[in-house]
Amino acid sequence: MVGVMNSVEAVIASIQGLSASSGDLSALHDLLKGAEESLRADSDVKLSTLEQLDPSKHSLGYLYILDVLTSGPVSEEKASDVILLIARFINSCDAGQIRLASEKFVSLCKRLKDNVVKLNDPLRGVASLLTAVYKVQASTKRLTALHPDCLQLCLQAKKYKAGFSILSDDILEVDQPRDFFLYCYYGGMICIGLKKFQKASELLFNAVTAPMHLVNAIALEAYKKYILVSLILNGQFTNSLPKCASTAAQRNLKTLCIHYIELGNCYNDGGIAELEALVVANSSHFEADTNLGLVKQAVSSLYKRNILRLTQKYLTLSLEDIAKMVNLANAKEAEMHVLQMIQDGQIHALINQKDGMVRFLEDPEQYKTSEMIEIMDSVIKRTIGLSKNLLAMDDSLLCDPLYLGKVGRERQRYDFGDDFDTVPQKFSM
Amino acid sequence: MDLSPVTEALSVKSFDKIADICDDLMLKVSSEGISFHDDWPYAIHLLGYFYINDCDSARFLWKTIPAAIKESKPEVVAAWRIGQKLWTRDYPGVYGAIRGYDWSQEAKDMVAAFSDLYTKRMFQLLLSAYSTITIHDLALFLGMTEDAATTYVVENGWTVDATSQMVTVKKQAVKREQKLDSSKLQRLTEYVFHLEH
Repeated sequence: MVGVMNSVEAVIASIQGLSASSGDLSALHDLLKGAEESLRADSDVKLSTLEQLDPSKHSLGYLYILDVLTSGPVSEEKASDVILLIARFINSCDAGQIRLASEKFVSLCKRLKDNVVKLNDPLRGVASLLTAVYKVQASTKRLTALHPDCLQLCLQAKKYKAGFSILSDDILEVDQPRDFFLYCYYGGMICIGLKKFQKASELLFNAVTAPMHLVNAIALEAYKKYILVSLILNGQFTNSLPKCASTAAQRNLKTLCIHYIELGNCYNDGGIAELEALVVANSSHFEADTNLGLVKQAVSSLYKRNILRLTQKYLTLSLEDIAKMVNLANAKEAEMHVLQMIQDGQIHALINQKDGMVRFLEDPEQYKTSEMIEIMDSVIKRTIGLSKNLLAMDDSLLCDPLYLGKVGRERQRYDFGDDFDTVPQKFSM
Repeated sequence: MDLSPVTEALSVKSFDKIADICDDLMLKVSSEGISFHDDWPYAIHLLGYFYINDCDSARFLWKTIPAAIKESKPEVVAAWRIGQKLWTRDYPGVYGAIRGYDWSQEAKDMVAAFSDLYTKRMFQLLLSAYSTITIHDLALFLGMTEDAATTYVVENGWTVDATSQMVTVKKQAVKREQKLDSSKLQRLTEYVFHLEH
């Protein structure tokens, strides 16, 4: 019986016959799992075997056969064929069917990624992995094992915009911690490349504060970038890790990146010359971390931070004075800095060339236009969604036997009973 | 390689869509394993990014262009020269880069459209950032002769003082839509409901 079932023709016939309903598919899935070993050993499984199947109708069976065909070492000449074969399958396969065997699908996609990296052509895999992420993802809240690979390829191919497209959903469910760390780190880098520093800061923050028993290299690199992004975004450095960070991170992260801490402290002092000198002195460290570009952006943001501080103190100021106070060469340079900040919406001001003065203004936004209401609406909606998610998580945690067991045990340990509690009270009376 | 979506968008002058069309198409052809570098309309692709003010993506595209293409296609290099000026915020330099190359028939319309759009962007910037500005600087920012620049802004209600060579910026009252409809009220009700439960 088993021998008959496992011959290639029989498997193909089953795939063709059992790909329509969900009941059939689960029977097919069991059959394929059983036949997998012998299919691997069978020399009759060839590329031509696939021609008998339709990748969009027989996706589950196609996935198994394709996996057998492409596993094992691939020579450089054949890599291109393998990539194309997998890419076409990803494009045409049925999402519902491949999710039945998502682990196998993920490993197939990773194979495609490894091969495009081997051929030094990461761009070739970007479209396929983007499609794969959408197809394998059962819900947009869920992080898939393909997210980090997809982002990594986008970074290597310099397709930042494409990578950004999968960062818009809020991720709430994670299987593998490593995937989450990488997702946050690569995602942060994509956002840095596109100068979306707010989103970059959120992602890197998540990597730094994620639970961990031991400090990992991804969190460490994320923390370095987080420090620099905070300088650019907020114009200041906070010398303590967020409270929600794990104990391991609290204890060890800072000692592992002293140069960045030093940079942050120097930035807080506000002296541009000192900061530049520090960067020059430590440039080899920053360069080794491939953070030099970001460090330079942080340094130039100090001018802007210093100008921003002036707007809080003065109503009008001459361009000459601005240049002197923030250490710029002349009034023209100060004018260009102020102009750029107005263009970026960082400050509101009017330059008066006639008198060489700048008048700082209040934010003209009065929060009463339709556009602003739309913006506020979307923020409120997001917040409501977030609080609903939080409540749902709280509920599921309260029903979690593991959690209840732990809480129950601790209560026993600290609960000494009524007699004990009331004694001091009686004494104090 | 089928570039018809790009040429179609160019022919109907949907320049704001060029960048996205090119991005999608590039991902598609490369996933099919087609070697596209030699025939790719890099100059158009770069201009598409400038048109939608996405200098970052333009810079990343420039970094992926093979050296051989950069050497053999001067128009691609010329297009990036505009990008460099935008990147360093050399506002008047952008016009120089636009005028500094004899653009091909294919790119000509798009460059002209970008140049107009850029002038409008600069006008808006001056409007929001200056109360008075010299005629000399005004001409540089708008990429025009001093006479043309003053005529352009006077039409928008700005006033020129010939003796001091200064232009006074006239703020425009921006009319904004403030109409509310019943759906907003409905949403507010939902928010209050959420807060109370």
